[in-house]
Parts: sequence; C-alpha cells; structure tokens
Amino acid sequence: MEKKDKVLMINPEKCTGCRLCELVCAVKHDGVSNPARSRIRIMKWEMDGVYIPMACQQCQDAPCMGVCPVNAISRNDELNRIEVDYDKCIGCRSCVAVCPFGAMGFNSIDRKVFKCDLCDGDPQCVRFCEVQAVEYVEVDDVAILKKMEAATKLQATSHKIALKEA
Amino acid sequence: MALNRKIAYINLTTGEVEVKPIPLDVRKKFLGGRGLDAYLLLNHSEKGCDPLGPDNPLIVSGGFLTATCASATARTHVMAKSPLTGMLGSCNMGGFFAPEMAWAGFHHLVIKGKAEKPCYIFIHNGEIEIRDAANIWGTTTTDAQWAIRDELNDQEVKSMVIGPAGENLVVYANVMTGIKNAGGRTGMGAVMGSKNLKAVACRGTMDIKIAHPVEALEFNKRFIDQITSAKVNKTQGILGTPMIWGATNSWGGVRTRNFQYNQCEYADDIEPEAIDEICEDTMGPYHMSGCFGCQVHCRAQYRIPSGPYKGKYDEGPEYTSQGAFGSETDTPSAETVLVGNHLVDQYGIDNLEIGSLISWAMELYEEGIITSQDTDGLDLRFGNDEAVIEMIHRICYRKGKVADALADGGIPASKIFGKNSFDYLIQVKGMSNLHSDERATPALALNIATSSRGSDHLRSRPAIDLYHLPEPVLRKIYSSPIPYEGPLSSEHTEYIGKAWQVFWQENCYMGVDCLGICKYHTTFLGATLPNFEDWPKVLYYNTGVEFTPEELWDITERCNMLERLFNLREGLTRDDLEKGDMLNHRYFDEPCRRGAPDVVGRMIDKEKFIGMIDEFYAHKGLDAEGNPTSETLKRLGLANEPSHML
Amino acid sequence: MAVDTNKMSGAESLRKTRTYGKFRCLNPTCMGRLEPKPGSDHVRCPVCTSEYRVAWIRPDFPRVRGPVWEVNKKLADAAFKKKMEGK
Repeated sequence: MEKKDKVLMINPEKCTGCRLCELVCAVKHDGVSNPARSRIRIMKWEMDGVYIPMACQQCQDAPCMGVCPVNAISRNDELNRIEVDYDKCIGCRSCVAVCPFGAMGFNSIDRKVFKCDLCDGDPQCVRFCEVQAVEYVEVDDVAILKKMEAATKLQATSHKIALKEA
Repeated sequence: MALNRKIAYINLTTGEVEVKPIPLDVRKKFLGGRGLDAYLLLNHSEKGCDPLGPDNPLIVSGGFLTATCASATARTHVMAKSPLTGMLGSCNMGGFFAPEMAWAGFHHLVIKGKAEKPCYIFIHNGEIEIRDAANIWGTTTTDAQWAIRDELNDQEVKSMVIGPAGENLVVYANVMTGIKNAGGRTGMGAVMGSKNLKAVACRGTMDIKIAHPVEALEFNKRFIDQITSAKVNKTQGILGTPMIWGATNSWGGVRTRNFQYNQCEYADDIEPEAIDEICEDTMGPYHMSGCFGCQVHCRAQYRIPSGPYKGKYDEGPEYTSQGAFGSETDTPSAETVLVGNHLVDQYGIDNLEIGSLISWAMELYEEGIITSQDTDGLDLRFGNDEAVIEMIHRICYRKGKVADALADGGIPASKIFGKNSFDYLIQVKGMSNLHSDERATPALALNIATSSRGSDHLRSRPAIDLYHLPEPVLRKIYSSPIPYEGPLSSEHTEYIGKAWQVFWQENCYMGVDCLGICKYHTTFLGATLPNFEDWPKVLYYNTGVEFTPEELWDITERCNMLERLFNLREGLTRDDLEKGDMLNHRYFDEPCRRGAPDVVGRMIDKEKFIGMIDEFYAHKGLDAEGNPTSETLKRLGLANEPSHML
Repeated sequence: MAVDTNKMSGAESLRKTRTYGKFRCLNPTCMGRLEPKPGSDHVRCPVCTSEYRVAWIRPDFPRVRGPVWEVNKKLADAAFKKKMEGK
C-alpha cells in the first residue's frame, strides 16, 4: 500500500557538513550554483564538529501561511507541502520574518521569497546525501526510526559495558 | 557561453586592485587552478626574485570546476616562489574557501607587494577591500578565522589564514582554512607572512552559471556513485587517510628513526583502528566530515583524550601526522600524534616537513653532530615524546639555536650544523620526503625525485603500482587517452615501464589540480576512479566549454612543462643534490632492514634509477640535462613564454 | 512498517559487509585468508609464516592489529641476513 504522507527527516548526527545538498538544491531549482539560493542550509559549530541541516518542516499550522496578507501561501495535501503562489505573492517578506526555522528565504537577485518544495516528491538533497543525514520517509515512520536509532545506541553501550565487565 | 570568471590583481604596497576577465583562449591553453597559476607565476615573477620579498607574487585560485555542480571541486590552489626550496612553491587544500571565493566573484588572485602593517583582504560579491589586521596578528589559525567573522559580523565568511608560523616566517608555514584544511608544503604561509597578509576572507552570494544544469545534476550523480562505490573511498570514509597506515607499516614502507628503519615497531597505539576508537569515543559513531560537495568524507573528528591538551578539538590526524609525529621520531603514541597534529593545525605549519626535520635533528643528536648544548638542554633523542612536542613550539616561535635553524629549512640548517649533517637529510630539492619509504618501489622513488615542488607524493605518485594489477588492466589505464605501447610491469619492485606511469600520473594529477578536484576522485588510490575520459563531460555540462580527452592531456602536459620552466629558470640541475631530480644517497646505499619478504634487503639500484630518469625525460620531451627541447616547446605552444597574456 | 533497511550509505554498507571470522594476510605478496581461532590473540599465516596480533571487536569479529613484532623482527632479520650473504 502506498502512502503519500512523506516528510524530510533530518539526522544531524550523520551530517558531514559537506553542503552538497545546498549545491544540488540551487542547481535543481534555479539552474545555478549558489548556496544562497538553497532551500536547505547547513548550520555549523565548527569548533565542536557539529553540523545541522535546516530545511522547511512543512508545518501543519504553518506560521508563514497564517501571516501572509494576500493568502499566497497554502498547503498542498497531495505532496504534503506548503507552497507559495507567485502570482499572488507581493514580496513583503512577512513569511521570512515569522518562520521559526528560517526556512523561508529571500533571494536578493530575483527579489523573491523561496522555500523547499520537496522537489515535487523527489528531493535532490536526499538523493545526493550519501550518509543519509537527510531522508524522505513516511511521517508515521519518523518516530519509530528515531526510537530504533536511540535503542541501537543503548544496545551498543550495554554491549560495551558487558565487554568491560567480562 | 556561461563563463564569467575573473582574476584580481591586488597590490598590497599601493592598495591598488585591478580586475580582468579570464579569456577563453587562456582557459583552452591552461584550464585553470594550478595550471593557470603556473602561467601567472612564470609571467609575474622575475628570475631570482626573493621569495620573502615584495616582488614574489602570491597566487590564489580555485579550479575551473570550483563552485560548479561537480563533485568535490573544492580545492584551493596557492602558488608563489617557495622560500623553502627557492623553486616552485605550490600547495593545494580542501575545505570551503575556493567555492566561497568563486561566489564572491573571483577565480584567481594575484597578490603582489607588501603591506606596511598587518592586514587582511576581504572579498565580498565582487568588491575587494584591504583591512587592518592589527587585532588578529599573532592569533592561531582558528582564532583568526573566528575573529574575522566576528569583526565582519558574518558567520558564513570563509578565510584562508596563516598562523604564528607564517608570521614568524618559518619557511614551511601553511596557509589554512577551517580547522585543519592546510595548504601545506613549500611554505606559502611564510610568503603571506612576508607580505604582512594575515588572511584572505571571502563571502559571496553571486551566481555561478551552470551551462546545462539538468545534465550536470544527473551526471554528477553518476560521478558520485562511481567515486563512492570504490572500496578505497568507502574505507576512507570510515578511517580517513590513516587507513593506509596499517598495511604500509606491516609491509615495511614507513620511514622510522629518520631513515634507519622502514617499519615502526610496537606502533599499536597509532594503528588506524586505534585512532578510530579514540574518534568514536570522543566524537560519537558519526565522526567523519567532508569538504565542500564531497561524499567521501575522509576527515575524522577527535578530541584529545588525555594529557595536558585533553579535550581540545581537532580534525584528522592524517596519515602524514602518524608518520611525522609517530614513526619518524620513533614516538608511536596516539597522544603525541594527536597533540602534534593539533599544534601544527593551530600554528599553521607543515606537519610533514616539521616531523621530518625533527627526526633528522634527532638522528644528528644521536650522531653527536648537535648536542644538548645546542638544544638548550632538550634531550633530543629518538623516542622522546616530550621533545617532539617541545620542538614544534620552538620551531614555530624560532626559540633557540637548533629550532631557529630548522625553521629556515633542512638545507640551510645543514650548513649551520656542519659536518656531514647533509648526508642524513632526507630531501629532494630542499623539501623533506613523506614518511613513506620508497626503497622497495622504484616507481615511487622516481616520483618523489622528479616532482616539480620538491619531494612530493601528490604530484606524480603511481600509488596503484602497489596493487599488483594484472598487466592488461594497467595497460587499459595507462594507454588512455594517449596510446602507450611500451613495456609495463605489475611488479612494484621493478623498473620497467615505471617512467611512463609516473609521466601519466603527473599529467593526471595536473588535470585534477587544474579542475579543482580532489585527488581521491581520480586514479590515485583507486584504479576505478575517473580521469581524462570522464572530465570532458563534467566540463561540458558545467561550463559549456568543449574539450576532448586528448586536448586535456595536452593541456596538462603543457602546464607541467610550465612548472618545469619555472624550476629551470630558478636553478634546477639534473643531478644536483640540493636543486635537482636526485635522491639522498641512503636510498642507494642502505638496504631496508624490516618488513615483508619482498621489502627486506631492498634498495634503489642507482644505475637503473638513472635509466628511469632518462626514460622519464624522453617521455616529457626533455634532453639529457632535463631541459625541454625546442621541438617540445613548439609542440606545447610554449616557445614564447613568458607571453604576458594575463 | 515501511522502513527500507536495505538502503544504506556506502560507508555503512561496507561496515555491514565485512567478512566476519577472518581477514587477509597483510603481506602484499601473500594476501592469504587467515582465520584465527575464536579468542586467540594471534594468528600465523600458513602461506608466508607472518604472524599477526588479533583484536576481537565482537566474539565473532576479529580484526588484525598489526604484526607480532618479535616474530616479524626475527623473520626480517633472517631474510636480511640471507640477502646480504647472497650479495
């Protein structure tokens, strides 16, 4: 049975910080190389070796949608995403200001807001991420996958302890 | 055509900046990156110029493919006349600097003159500004980068910086970016220091056009799959370059106690798995990181697990650090390697050169050529971990007689130490050898002897020679794109056909350096990786410029010849031990004492070795003295150099 | 549950595809398959007589940790002596 309720699942721990996702995102959407145009960005704490990919969460109660004065932002249930109607958009950038993840960008070259559209169901960031720091999974599976990951760690730790005791 | 690449000439004495586009015919001749750098260096420097004087041009560049949709094209190339060798100075580093420079509007910088006081260059969306660096002078490489970000109030700024070693003009100081991405070798950091230039900072949000974006994206996927499916790159992605250590050391290819042994015994502490365990314990199961756009992610992260530096974060250590602070000095302790690696990253100094010189000094100490009086009481014996760490501090800050001499490089130091100290110095053209021992592998020995920037393993090393590939496989690799019908041998202890392999690899590595691609993405450690046949497609999809594999081969040959011309101009003589294509006598006189049965007792046969050099010169179109013949220069279109097109 | 467990990164899949229970001789001219007895701390190559130290990641997962230095030294010294006599 095929479900179509898929979301981006981000595993910051796995991210190597290479920013290939930023590159392919810009090339896919705008045909140019420029991370400033990317819908996904890697935030870094370089002295701690921590890299966290940030992208639109396609919120259920999306603040960008609520704040838009001309109703240019709407939910597309088929692709499970929030999208911008550029025919209606007036470029006021309220959505940029209100997004809690900074996932709504403003492109100062084309003077337009932009956000993740999940590449219409084939996210390039996921396709290119070899370490799978970004995955595209069924929304129901996110929690169980995270549970499994945490449990694996617990299991590995207890195995280590058992080894030490033995 | 979607090409709008620029070159900036920056004069630090006058503060003048001039910007020019890079014409297509120059691209067609020298491609970009290292090749175009070599052209600029030959054209913008005078014969015999002082490497640490204002007339030495410092050339910074990204490759032709940098910041396009091509995998792992993040390499930054830096070139100038080297204060270490007095010949070609050239270094290459990964990280995130070159793409940022490209988005800021420039692919090449030519920095001339000398600033009156410490400064740094800030490049922002086509604008170039020279700023005061009084507040960051004296800081470590990472502190300097964060300080620049804070000052410019932009955390996305990427900088190429020098550390205290570059400021103190240690002639093998690095330029660095990020935590550990180092343009090591040949002392480009000292050239920056001599110009009072602490950093080049970039921030860019400009578009780089992709000629055929859809095809570029699809081809990039195929390219990446090809690269990540190579077993060697999978292992790189787990262990990083230390993966080479285990087999190499067990086999007997690791220089130990300077050059006394070829295997580091009881080195269990610094085996790749042992280091991996430290990384895992301190940074968790996912402790690898990558350079821009690269899926190999060979950079390990670690915190120092014990001792006075406990808890300090760094990246690496690379294979080189294992040798420099482990085997050569006979101090195979993880802590020494990790701390040594951390210090050279912070000070901005070449780990390979400093480790090799410390081990050389240790051998001189053992021989009584330098004494504890010279070292101010420091017990510089092999196996003294504290002495290794102490020497790193001292050399960086030029403290004491021995350290100050070593900071000027091996050959000048040998003149101060006197006696037969030079005989113990493992170098080619004034630059120290990697800790690999080439006595059982003539091809690798030929590579370091003839490399254009002095002893170096990243300029022409046929590393796959060690894999015993069947002859037909070797032939498939080495007779493309130019047919080769001469002999080839799968046996790594042989001398047959090795000159061609080295010649082919020299052109191959020039190719990746011109394009800005990392060497792990070509025929270096993996035989199945892309080279001349694959690059034209990447180039076409991304830049719209068409090349054939044969054209690319010609370009790489031309660029290598440019480097040779520069070296010849600065005094390269074939058999000269200080400035020539010749190895230290110990390669010919001292047999290997350790290792696997095929290694024990081996040394390089001098007669055959000289025969190999003759053969290599013939492939390159050089005469018996190593000068290019007039036909060769004509064939490569270099008869009128310097031609001052840029 | 629609979780595709076969989808692994290259590095992950390599970790998974390691041959358990054995490894190869590190002598490049030998490369023989070595299968240490469970729990033993060293193994001798039946082909070239090199001896290696073994570490056990898990009870079924041995890893080579480099040569047994004493044996390695003895073999090298003998080979060295023989070769020098031959010269």
